[in-house]
Amino acid sequence: MDNNIVISTPPHVKSPRTTKGIMLDVLIALAPAAIAGMVFFGWQALVVIITAMISAVAAEFVYYFIYNGGFKAKCANAGAVCKKWLAQFDFTSAVTGLILALILPSTAEWYEVAIGAVFAIVIVKMLFGGTGKNLVNPAAAGRVMMFLSFAITTYVAANFEPISLDSQLFTGATALSGSILGGNPDAHMEWIDLFFGTGLAGCIGETCKLALIIGYIYLVVRGVIKWWQPLLYIVLSAFLSVCLAATAEGATFDISLMMDYALSGGLMFGAIFMATDYVTSPKGVYGQIVYYVILAVLTSLLRFYTKIEVVSFVIMLVNLIVPLIDRYVVRRPFGYAKQVKAKEGK
Amino acid sequence: MLFGGVHVRDNKSLACDKPTEVLPEPSELHISTKQASGKPAVPCVEVGQRVKEGQLIAKADGVISSNVFAGMAGVVKEIVDLPAASGAEETFIVISSDGSKEKEWLTPLSDPTAESILARIGEAGIVGMGGAGFPAAVKDAPKCKVDTLILNGAECEPYLTCDHRLMIEHTDDIVRGARYIAKALGGVQIVIGIELNKPDCIAAFEPYDDVKVVALAKRYPMGSEKHLIYSTTGRKVRLGKLPADAGVIVHNVGTAYAVCQAVELGKPLYERELTVSGKAVKEPKNLWVKVGASVADIIAYCGGEESAPVKAVIGGPMTGTAVASYDEYVGKTTGGILLMTAEEADTKAPTPCLNCGKCADVCPMHLMPMQTAFYSNAGDFETAAKLGGTMSCIECGACEYVCPARRPLIQAIRKTKAAMRAKKN
Repeated sequence: MDNNIVISTPPHVKSPRTTKGIMLDVLIALAPAAIAGMVFFGWQALVVIITAMISAVAAEFVYYFIYNGGFKAKCANAGAVCKKWLAQFDFTSAVTGLILALILPSTAEWYEVAIGAVFAIVIVKMLFGGTGKNLVNPAAAGRVMMFLSFAITTYVAANFEPISLDSQLFTGATALSGSILGGNPDAHMEWIDLFFGTGLAGCIGETCKLALIIGYIYLVVRGVIKWWQPLLYIVLSAFLSVCLAATAEGATFDISLMMDYALSGGLMFGAIFMATDYVTSPKGVYGQIVYYVILAVLTSLLRFYTKIEVVSFVIMLVNLIVPLIDRYVVRRPFGYAKQVKAKEGK
Repeated sequence: MLFGGVHVRDNKSLACDKPTEVLPEPSELHISTKQASGKPAVPCVEVGQRVKEGQLIAKADGVISSNVFAGMAGVVKEIVDLPAASGAEETFIVISSDGSKEKEWLTPLSDPTAESILARIGEAGIVGMGGAGFPAAVKDAPKCKVDTLILNGAECEPYLTCDHRLMIEHTDDIVRGARYIAKALGGVQIVIGIELNKPDCIAAFEPYDDVKVVALAKRYPMGSEKHLIYSTTGRKVRLGKLPADAGVIVHNVGTAYAVCQAVELGKPLYERELTVSGKAVKEPKNLWVKVGASVADIIAYCGGEESAPVKAVIGGPMTGTAVASYDEYVGKTTGGILLMTAEEADTKAPTPCLNCGKCADVCPMHLMPMQTAFYSNAGDFETAAKLGGTMSCIECGACEYVCPARRPLIQAIRKTKAAMRAKKN
C-alpha cells in the first residue's frame, strides 16, 4: 500500500456518465438539425453556426482567463490558467453557441451573431456563476436580445438547392405567422413540407422536423432527457392552440390543425433542446410536469394573441419561475404518512 | 419498479464462483468491543488472562449492545483504544494465540422453545449481519404483532458475494435458522427475497415448502430493508416506523445461519463470512474470518496486491468505508474488503451541479439530494433538511453513483444529518 490511496465518503463506484459526456450527447443530437440547416440555407448558415460557436467558447475562455487572474503579474501564470480552463471545459458553451445559431435565420449578420453569443455567455451565464448557476436559458436570452436589438424578423425559405448569391432569395414570414396565425390561406403549407422543411421560411435549425426528431430519439435513448417532456409541451400546446383558434369568429374546431401548430415555427426545437435544459428546468418530476404545462399554456396563448413566434420568450419567462416551482412542488418521501396534527387547546 | 434505484455494474463474477475458504488462524486478534449499533460492550477479562475459543470477553452494556467473544484460544495481551475504520476511537481487546485450540461454547439447545431461542440469540451476541449491526434479539422481540419473517438474500451491493456463497453452501442451515427465528416470533411465515442475478440461490431454496422464494429485479438498493419489504410483500413501512409496525421482521441470511449455529451447536458469533475482491487484489476470495482478524493478514492470504490500489474499502463499494491503511480489523458486520484500481473507483473531481435531477430520479426514498447539497453547502442546514428530506435518507449512495457532476452528495447528507441532530439535542 502506498500513499496514493484516496479516502472519501461512499459510494466508491460511480456511473460512467459525466457532464462532459452529456453535453457531447447534446451536440451530437443537434448535429442533424445543423446539417439540415446547412443543406437548406447554404454557406450563410455555416457562417452563422461557426461564428456563434466560436464566439461562445471564446467568450467563456476570456471571461475565465480574466476571472482567474490570467493577466495578473504580467501574464506569469497564463499557461496554468489555460490548462485549468481546458481541464474544466465541459462543452456547455459550445452547446449554447450551437443552439443560438440554430434559432437564428441565416440572414443574420456575422457580427450580430457574435454579439448575441457573447451576450448569452458573459451576461446570462458567467455573471450568474457559470455552468449550472444561470437563471434563464442563455441561448433563449441571447436570441431575445438579438430580436429586440437587431429586429431579426426576416426569414429565408429553405431550399434543397444551396442558395447562391445571385439567385433571388425568398424572404417573408414563417409558415406560422403567414398561414396559421395570420389567416392567409395562400401561404398554407402541406404537412409534408412542414415536416421536411422544404420551401419553408424559418430559422436554420427549426425547419427540418425530421432532423429534430432524430435528435430527440438520440437524446431519449442516451437518457439525457425523458421521453415525455418535449411531447407533453408540444402536444398540449398544439391542442390548446386549436382550442383558442376555435374561439375566433367564424372558425370551427378543427383538430387536424394540431399538426400544423406542432410542426410550425420553433416549438419543436424549443421543446426538445431548450426547455429541457437541465439548469433552467425544475429538479423533481412533479415540478417538471408543472413546468411543461405552464410552458404549453403560455406558448399557445401568446402565439394566439401576438401572432409572432414566442417560444424563446416563453422559455425565458418560465425559466424565471423555476426556483418557485422547485420550492413549492415537492415530493413525498417513500412511506410518507400524513402527520395527524394535535388539535390546539389540548 | 416504483421506487427508483440504479443499475450498478456489479463485478460479482470476480468472486461468486469461489468456494468459501477458512482463513488460517492469525497470531493475533484485535477484537473491538463495539460490534453492534448502540453502546460498546464492557470488557470482562483482564490483561494476561487465558481465554478459550468462544469465551465471553466483553459483556453487552444495556439492550442495544452485544456480547463479544474470543475468536481463538490464547492470552489477552492488552486492552487498548485505537482508531477504527470510521475514524472514531474504539476499545480493542488483543488476544495472542497460544495454539491450544481449546473451545468453550454455550450448551446446545436440545428442545428449543420460543423463549430459549430468543435468550440464545441475545447470549450468543448475534447482530444483523447485513451491515447495520442491530442486535437480533431486540428485533425478534417486537412490540407489535408480526406475521412475516423476510430473509434478505438480495445482496444488492456490487462485488460482495459472501451471502451468495452462504446461500449455496449452507442452504439447509439458513432454513433451519430461519425456522428458529420464526418460532421465536410465534410461528410466522418465512419469505426469502433473492435478486435475479443469483438463479442458483433461488433454485437452492425452491425445495423448501415452508419458505416462499421471491425473485427480485436486479436493482440497487433492493436489499434495503424498507424496499425489500415493499418488493416482497407490497407493504410500505411508514417514515419513522419500524418494519415490525408493518408486521414484518427482516433478517440477513447470514444472521439466520448464525442463529442456527448458536441454537444447534451453541457456537457464539465470533466468525463471519466475507468477500475479498476488487481488481487490485491478486486472488479474490470468499473467506470465513474470525472477528478481529486484521485486513493485512487477509490481504496477504489472498496473494497480496495485484497492483497498487487507489481505494481500500471495508464493506461494500456503495456504503463501505474507505480506509488509509491495512491496520484495520474485521468486525461482526464486515461483509467485504475491497482493493479497487483507478479504473474501478472513480476519483474524478466534482464539477458544478447542473440540476439535472438524476439523483432525485433514482432516490429510492423519493428525496431531493441536490437540494440538501445546495443548502448545506450554503450552511443552511434547516432548509437543506426540509427541502431535501434528508432525515429520511437511508444513505444508499444511489444518488451519488448516478451524479454526472460527481457531487459529494452523501457527504452533504451526513453533514446535514449531524447538524440537525446536534440542534435537536
